[in-house]
Amino acid sequence: MERIVYLDNAATTPVDSAVLDEMKPFFTERFANPMTYMHSSEGDVAHTAVEEARVRVASLIGSKPEQVVFTCGGTESDNWVLKGTVERASRERLHKPGHLVTAEFEHHAILHSALALQRQGYEVTFVKVGRSGIVDPDDVRCAMRPTTVLVSIMHANNEIGTIQPIADIARVAHEHGALMHTDAVQTTAHIPVDVDALGVDFLSISAHKFNGPKGVGILFVRDHTAVYPFIDGGGQEWGLRGSTHNVPGIVGLGKAAQLGGERLPGELKRLTMLRNTLLDKLSVRIDRIVVNGDMKQRVPQNLNFRIEGIDNEPLLLAMNESGIIAAGGSACNAQETLASHVLTSIGCDLKEAKSSIRLSLGYATTEKDVDYAADVIPNLVKFLRSMA
Amino acid sequence: MDKYSRVTIREFMSPSNIGYIDDPSGTGHITDNADAVELTLFIRVDTGRITDAKYRIAGCTALIATLSVLSKELPGKTIDEALALDMQYLSGLLEGLPESKWRCAGYAVQALHLAIEDYQNKTS
Repeated sequence: MERIVYLDNAATTPVDSAVLDEMKPFFTERFANPMTYMHSSEGDVAHTAVEEARVRVASLIGSKPEQVVFTCGGTESDNWVLKGTVERASRERLHKPGHLVTAEFEHHAILHSALALQRQGYEVTFVKVGRSGIVDPDDVRCAMRPTTVLVSIMHANNEIGTIQPIADIARVAHEHGALMHTDAVQTTAHIPVDVDALGVDFLSISAHKFNGPKGVGILFVRDHTAVYPFIDGGGQEWGLRGSTHNVPGIVGLGKAAQLGGERLPGELKRLTMLRNTLLDKLSVRIDRIVVNGDMKQRVPQNLNFRIEGIDNEPLLLAMNESGIIAAGGSACNAQETLASHVLTSIGCDLKEAKSSIRLSLGYATTEKDVDYAADVIPNLVKFLRSMA
Repeated sequence: MDKYSRVTIREFMSPSNIGYIDDPSGTGHITDNADAVELTLFIRVDTGRITDAKYRIAGCTALIATLSVLSKELPGKTIDEALALDMQYLSGLLEGLPESKWRCAGYAVQALHLAIEDYQNKTS
């Protein structure tokens, strides 16, 4: 069989077989609606499974179980927290349109939600990010206004993997009476994520980034009264998020959270070593290779670099032909021919942005995979450079 | 869904006629930083017909594949026949380029027109 080396784990990860095994019965024999648990023993089985998953997720992020609200994923959680808190605080506390602070290099789930708020008359400041790819808390401080109701800065960037000083930024937000949200989609189960240590009021997670299923995530909500519901419906999730629970998905998320927590210390060390080895080998074998963003304050699974004189599109296609799956930027924008907004926000020009690729490792990545990539990619770069 | 045909990928992975022509009859050069394109197309013209075409390219898959098929089409063509080659035709040779890639692949045609202009300026 043709060799496949999957280095696009920041886009999504395979479902762990143990996760799938726990999910399976909830598609068929344990199919009951968890909301029927009061009068149905079958419903109680589903309800118990959902609550067990909630406890597992809470344990991973150091929260109380009731602060974990299930959603359909990171994008929904991000949409919900921005729109639900800004609207609520503006209407009930400020009695005028409030102000949101976020950063230029956020995922589009945040950026486009922020623009949607702007269209509705709310004010938004997009803080700039320097070459390091790390937001300066002082820049957030400068952006704060008396009307600022929410600060939303991602825990680690999805393209360059740089880890943000969330605890410091949360302190700034709270000093100014604002709430703090972080999108922890790229960090959960990869580096320690503790809602109290981070000092956040809200935190978004997506299961499929750590070997759970797609279509399920959570929003950590410290105080249920701080946010309006986003999806109105039945009384699920304390009335904060209507819709029948995605029981198999939630069970899968719970198992992935449990496994992620158990594996975290070992994986953090292993992936950091593999990632650094990969960079070392590529740096020796490829001329004019430059890492995008800070290399130290970075999640262990991420490597993002540019190769001078190379267009990432043919390189990625040639890598794919050799069985190596990687990305030029966010998978959510892979069809766009525009340069990555993340890379331009940290000061890359268009040419640099279009010569950049992201290699993201995961639980299934082996030393052999890394060796293969370190052998093949330099040859493909040589092939492309030979045409220029 | 926009995606490359197998023909395009094959052409890109083993492109024809990469190289230089010594003392070319015409040269077309294009640089575009926003598109990360650096392209030089060389043509040789003998008694009104193109006899050889070669190029150097840093650019996207679509442009590399388009240059490859263009360089194979040019030998034997008159200047007027060469000027008649357009993206519609070249895309057909690649079994359909994604529409989102036509603009970038179009640099191949632009470079050809510049090379022909250069040739005509030299000979007029």
